[in-house]
Amino acid sequence: MSTTGHAKTTIDRATFTITFQRTFQAPREDVFDAWTQPEQLAEWWDPSGARLAECAVDLRPGGAFKLVNRDSVHGPPFTGVYRVIERASLLVFDAMGALGTVRLDNERGLTQMTVTIRCASAEHLEQFVKLGVDVGTERTLDNLVAHLADHHRA
Amino acid sequence: MKDEADLTAVFSALADPTRRAILQRLAEGDATVSELAEPFGLRQPTISKHLRILEDAGFIRQGRDAQRRPRSLVVGGPLEDVDAWLRPFREQWERRFDALESFLDKKAKRAAKKGERR
Repeated sequence: MSTTGHAKTTIDRATFTITFQRTFQAPREDVFDAWTQPEQLAEWWDPSGARLAECAVDLRPGGAFKLVNRDSVHGPPFTGVYRVIERASLLVFDAMGALGTVRLDNERGLTQMTVTIRCASAEHLEQFVKLGVDVGTERTLDNLVAHLADHHRA
Repeated sequence: MKDEADLTAVFSALADPTRRAILQRLAEGDATVSELAEPFGLRQPTISKHLRILEDAGFIRQGRDAQRRPRSLVVGGPLEDVDAWLRPFREQWERRFDALESFLDKKAKRAAKKGERR
């Protein structure tokens, strides 16, 4: 897996916002399409690396999406509704009661991606996180992270 | 890692904007109840109530000075527990974006191959 560096996660407790930043060696259009074309989204969404069992995308403001992992251990389906769709620069959606924003900026031929997940309150943040990660997932992820760390050292 | 009940107390303590502002103020240095009450325009009983909630959740403690009883932030307090608790969630999204990155890499390689064939 190639890494272009520039991976950053920040949590702003005052606004209940989690922000992820990544830089990709790809044009903005490719990154945007990876987020919005179901056959592409299905290939990377599941953190375990498996192809999604179901990936339904109705790409229009007010249109719904539903992403279902193959392995139910990885949590309930990720469902939501698109709010703003501006190809290559901005995608805004409501999901699991939180507001998700994907912003793509062109930076010297690279794409800087900023993903924010904003919850309405601290309790909400807690709920949102809980929906995304159950205890089983936590254990699976810890194993996987350990495995990857070993792999890198080898 | 704290248990569920403690984390709930931590999150409800953080849920109030005045209490978050108090924590921010205390991050700059210790302060007495009246020093804290003044900028928020709150009466002392109200501020004391907020302080008690923050204290019960483990965010702050009272100083030894019996006269002034300044409040201070607890170093390595519950904010670290919140961080630890959020870690798996964070890692899940990080791994997701790792997958997006390798997907984009593969796509670029496929496109390059197509270009060579032309």
